[in-house]
Amino acid sequence: MTDASVRISHVAAGHSRVSRAEPWQVRLGTALSKPGFLAALPVGILLLAGFVGPLALVFLFAFMPPQTFSVLQAPTLANFRTIFSDSYYLSFLASLQLAASTVAILLVICYPLAIAMVRVFTRKAGILALVLAAPLFVADNLRLMGWMLFLVKGGVVSGTMQTYLGIPVDSMLYTFSATLFGLVYINLPMMLFPMILGVSMVPAQMREAAFDLGASRWQVMKEVDIPLAMPGIMIGALITFILAAGAITEAKVLGGTAVVMIAQDIQKEFTFAQNWPKGSALSMLMIVLAGSLALAMFKRVDLDAIFGRKG
Amino acid sequence: MTRRNLLQSFSQSRRAFLRDTVSISAGIAAASMMPRGAWAAREKEMNIYCWEGYNSDKVLDPFRKEFDCTVKAQGLISDPEAVNQLRAGDTKVWDIINLNNAWGRRQLYPENLIKPLDKAKFEPLWEMMIPEFKWPYKWSTSDDGNELLGMIQRYGPSGMLVNTEKVSAATLEDEGYDLMLSDAFKGKYAVLMYDDWVIMHVVIAAGFSPFRELTDDEIGKYETVMRKLINNAAFLSDDMNAIALGMINGSIEGSFPGSVYSVSAARYDGNPNLRCIIPNKGPEEMGGKAGVCWMELTSLVNNPQLSPRAEDFLEYCFRPETAKNVSFAEGTYNPVGQMGDPKVMALYNTEELDAFQYDTLSADMAKCADFDIIPSYTKLHEIFSAAVREKA
Repeated sequence: MTDASVRISHVAAGHSRVSRAEPWQVRLGTALSKPGFLAALPVGILLLAGFVGPLALVFLFAFMPPQTFSVLQAPTLANFRTIFSDSYYLSFLASLQLAASTVAILLVICYPLAIAMVRVFTRKAGILALVLAAPLFVADNLRLMGWMLFLVKGGVVSGTMQTYLGIPVDSMLYTFSATLFGLVYINLPMMLFPMILGVSMVPAQMREAAFDLGASRWQVMKEVDIPLAMPGIMIGALITFILAAGAITEAKVLGGTAVVMIAQDIQKEFTFAQNWPKGSALSMLMIVLAGSLALAMFKRVDLDAIFGRKG
Repeated sequence: MTRRNLLQSFSQSRRAFLRDTVSISAGIAAASMMPRGAWAAREKEMNIYCWEGYNSDKVLDPFRKEFDCTVKAQGLISDPEAVNQLRAGDTKVWDIINLNNAWGRRQLYPENLIKPLDKAKFEPLWEMMIPEFKWPYKWSTSDDGNELLGMIQRYGPSGMLVNTEKVSAATLEDEGYDLMLSDAFKGKYAVLMYDDWVIMHVVIAAGFSPFRELTDDEIGKYETVMRKLINNAAFLSDDMNAIALGMINGSIEGSFPGSVYSVSAARYDGNPNLRCIIPNKGPEEMGGKAGVCWMELTSLVNNPQLSPRAEDFLEYCFRPETAKNVSFAEGTYNPVGQMGDPKVMALYNTEELDAFQYDTLSADMAKCADFDIIPSYTKLHEIFSAAVREKA
């Protein structure tokens, strides 16, 4: 527990000591009529209905008999048994592998870019940020379709190479690499912007002090820059990982289904297979897998220490 | 707070931020309340859920203008998905549903998801139809033949697609699915991923009818053919244009499966060498038919607040000029049943008829069994999905 949360729990304990003499109904009444609770109520209900509700429905469906469309039946583990006895691990592995590779590539691409935008371009960084964010205004599948026309045999790349350089280039589509390229391209802003925030959190004085004390460039990067920018880097990595693991269009449009990602299996169950329970079970497994990976990642990296909340 | 660049600070004061947030949220809330008020009277709006083509402005704009109403349309690429959406409660959203023939009589009507049409009003329109679809047409009625479930318009045969400059049409017709499934054809074709159609054609290629329950032995043979089909494919795509493009640029020579609609736009665009081929010989139990033909059934959704414009739309689709526009909507060109009416036929020129292979259309349709529900679908789809996942 952090100092801050310890402090909060002390305060809470203080309150509860005072009110312990009162019967629980009165204490509940007092708690419910607090302005904080009342003010949070509408948003709380909205979150419960709009966010937790659908998830709960997916959870319930995961335990319903296969090929059924109602949640009011005797629960069963049949869907999970089918999933574990089949080859779905391949899709899970493919999704995790692609997501991890996307994060790794984007870390390498985005870190120098973020440094450049915060330290080199300073005033012009806003314009650069707008340029980088502009593609976000166009739907993913349209942008990917554009890349398809770019990379397809006889498309912009191969057509140009053939016409002007006489080098025959075959289609660059429908492979694992094409899928990975699509994921990196689509998710670049998701990694870059949190990382820029992270990098801009590093005080210049801290770096100067490190240099004054004789640190090499490498040491400054390792000991000052990266640790202080870590919140942005971590958040970027997490968002990118989750988005890439749940991606589908990249594998279909650029990848030609050379790799089946788990989202595609889930989509098939809800559409062509008409098997909502199995689709729900696959979704639950993906949520658990991605959730535990995120938790493990956050556990390894102490967020409180990063945010400077630790004494 | 001084602002060094857009990324580093946020210049609004907290009060201004709160004020803006509140006004924006109130705006959004008010906007989301509006359709509720307009809900009661739906004379001026209609929502249609359809295969590509009916959602084109070419078809919808004249209707919007004439009936002075808002029409929202959403395209679909999977019949089962659309059926699921209606099951999940989307009957409240849509007024018109356009699906392949069998779904109306087999699932939508028995599950109370569509509304039968007024026979007296719509029966006379069937006079326009080609002889194959004359009244009372099987797929437009309920099982007992008493109710009219929808109107038929676009149709077409489904088999394989080929670039006839690489493989002659006659060779593919004679050798059938075996040619595309041979080792010599490895890496030279794509699979058009409309799952139920892939499954139907693979069952036929394995030598059986997909429209009856298959035995374990037959399912085993189906699996062998399916795995070979998927493993040998150059790529798998649910984008028929990507497949047509691959055939034009030479990266593939054909597609399994493929219907006339998947090449008609490319044919009209100067590529008459792309062609849908129906093999000459199919399984005996299918009467030797090797292809599957589809006809779309356009029905009224059982919407508790059905727009009165929906019936108007069904009638509107039977006007000769609308029938032509539906047939030549953006992106896909198809023959329509109303071509039985000389007034409709007169609207086509030779190039347009050639786009959807009118020269062999009747002969191709005669080599096709009608699209129907696949009884062993669940098992067959599992095998198909596993084959795709485990693609070598």
